[in-house]
Amino acid sequence: MQHTTISEIIFGWDPVWFAGILFLLTYLMIVTEKINRAIVALLSAGLMILGGVLSQEAAMRGVDFNTLGLLTGMMVIVAVTRRTGVFQFLAVWSAKKVNADPWGILVMLSLITAVLSALLDNVTTVLLVVPVTLLIAEELNIKPYPFLFAEIFASNIGGAATLIGDPPNIMIGSAANLSFTDFLFNLAPIVLIILLVMFIPFYFLWGRSLTATEYNRQKIMNYNECQSITDIVLLKKSLFVLTLVLTGFTVAHHLHLQPASIAMLGAALLLLLDNLNRRSDNQSRSVHASFAEVEWVTIFFFLGLFIIVHGVESTGLLKTSAEYILKLTDGDMTITSMTILWGSAIASALVDNIPFVAATIPLIKSMAPTFGGTEALMPLWWSLALGACLGGNGSLIGTCANIIVAGFAERSGNPISFVRFMLGAFPLMLASIAISSVYIYLRYL
Amino acid sequence: MTASQVMDPHPSVLHKDELIHKGLELIMDHRYRNIPVVDDNGCFEGIFGVNCLLRLVLPKALFVERGLKTVPFIKHTLRDLKIRLKEVEDMPVTYCMNQDIEVVTPDTPLVETLLILYRTRNSIPVVDPKNGNLVGMISYWDVGSKILEQNI
Repeated sequence: MQHTTISEIIFGWDPVWFAGILFLLTYLMIVTEKINRAIVALLSAGLMILGGVLSQEAAMRGVDFNTLGLLTGMMVIVAVTRRTGVFQFLAVWSAKKVNADPWGILVMLSLITAVLSALLDNVTTVLLVVPVTLLIAEELNIKPYPFLFAEIFASNIGGAATLIGDPPNIMIGSAANLSFTDFLFNLAPIVLIILLVMFIPFYFLWGRSLTATEYNRQKIMNYNECQSITDIVLLKKSLFVLTLVLTGFTVAHHLHLQPASIAMLGAALLLLLDNLNRRSDNQSRSVHASFAEVEWVTIFFFLGLFIIVHGVESTGLLKTSAEYILKLTDGDMTITSMTILWGSAIASALVDNIPFVAATIPLIKSMAPTFGGTEALMPLWWSLALGACLGGNGSLIGTCANIIVAGFAERSGNPISFVRFMLGAFPLMLASIAISSVYIYLRYL
Repeated sequence: MTASQVMDPHPSVLHKDELIHKGLELIMDHRYRNIPVVDDNGCFEGIFGVNCLLRLVLPKALFVERGLKTVPFIKHTLRDLKIRLKEVEDMPVTYCMNQDIEVVTPDTPLVETLLILYRTRNSIPVVDPKNGNLVGMISYWDVGSKILEQNI
């Protein structure tokens, strides 16, 4: 993002103060959740322009359309694919593979959640997995809390493994020009270790007490997972396009293509394949239904957020903050990395990780001269990615996925207590960050 | 013409403390689609109907908003459904009655009443706006017979 010249500020306000206070107020409004976050972000973005901090052209330059395109494209692909029933198939198949044993189901559903979170995104994944989980838990006559807790962790941990797994990674990848394979080679190994380690406390917390009667287990075993697949032709088309898209992500960097181009092209191809034999009026309905599944609140939230952060960045406030942090860490890469890792983890647990990452990205970028160029910033990017993604596990409001799971739990009559979740989740999140610290130190510092 | 002129002023009702199995008996014996539920003062509380029966025998997880849209993989038998119903049949009808119901007042104009009836596709309660008391029910049959008996 390039710096812009500050135009006239209305009422003669100091742009630094105006942008800084507006940013803090926006953050506060997002955290308190009194008003929908997309409204807050768009309103603040508008004020950033109205206040003269940014011109409209400068505001548009601040929007990371690669992130928006990637998110939207993947959401459309998943919207079409979910109609095939393949995600229900996976969940039921995995439950039967462990003979409907509750602990086995917890492990299997967590693994599926982690893998899907890495390949899709964690918000989409929990939307697909949690409804089946609630059904299975009800059939087993078990409170769904342990399953949902494990799935929240699995979604955030799995999402950390790839470029497309979690919105913070999408933003970091786009801003730092990191490829799908960069994320895979640098983060997937530690993600796998953390995921497997997490099953140890899960087992001691719930593993031994999860039991179900033979009758209830038989109900699950009687499920016919093959009948979940409602449209085998569409499934083949979806898997074909998903394979192409994932392959595209791995080679995109070498072809100088952005992930958004791959995701959007994949979405368009799948929509074409899905609508080839439909009449034009049916096509219109079908395409409309697919687009309606896109989480537009999230997309507009990002749009507003990019403008707000760009506004703050253009005033030089973030550069000043970066200089202050570097002064505190004495320009030492190890201390700076650890500060970013632990700071972003704790911040992401307490507030939504997306605005935090949006503000931290330009901050890290402005540290490049101190550390000898953009290449030297890699440990900081991986620290931010791990901290923001894993830190989201620390509380129920840490990530969008957590909030969605909590919403499902509440609507099903099994509300998750904020405090109860945090008491269990925060220490486990800290443990995952401790493991990440060792990894970052040994591999990059 | 208003809702009060096409309503049944003496519908069968359930008291809010009556049990689900009593409500189901009433529904099955009389083939009712809906029965209004009232409190001690005759105040309208909600509707208990055939939909409640279906809701009681199916897994609750299927009714979660934004949840599962289709479940062709579930292979429950009638016995499984009866077991699920047995677990809740001694609970009061308020456990599963529907409170998200559109109601009309005795003074609601006829065409407005019919439009609501058409949209809801269910019998609609007529409620006194002053005290919330149920004063009647309007079904397709009430309206149909009233229209057909007109001499022109």
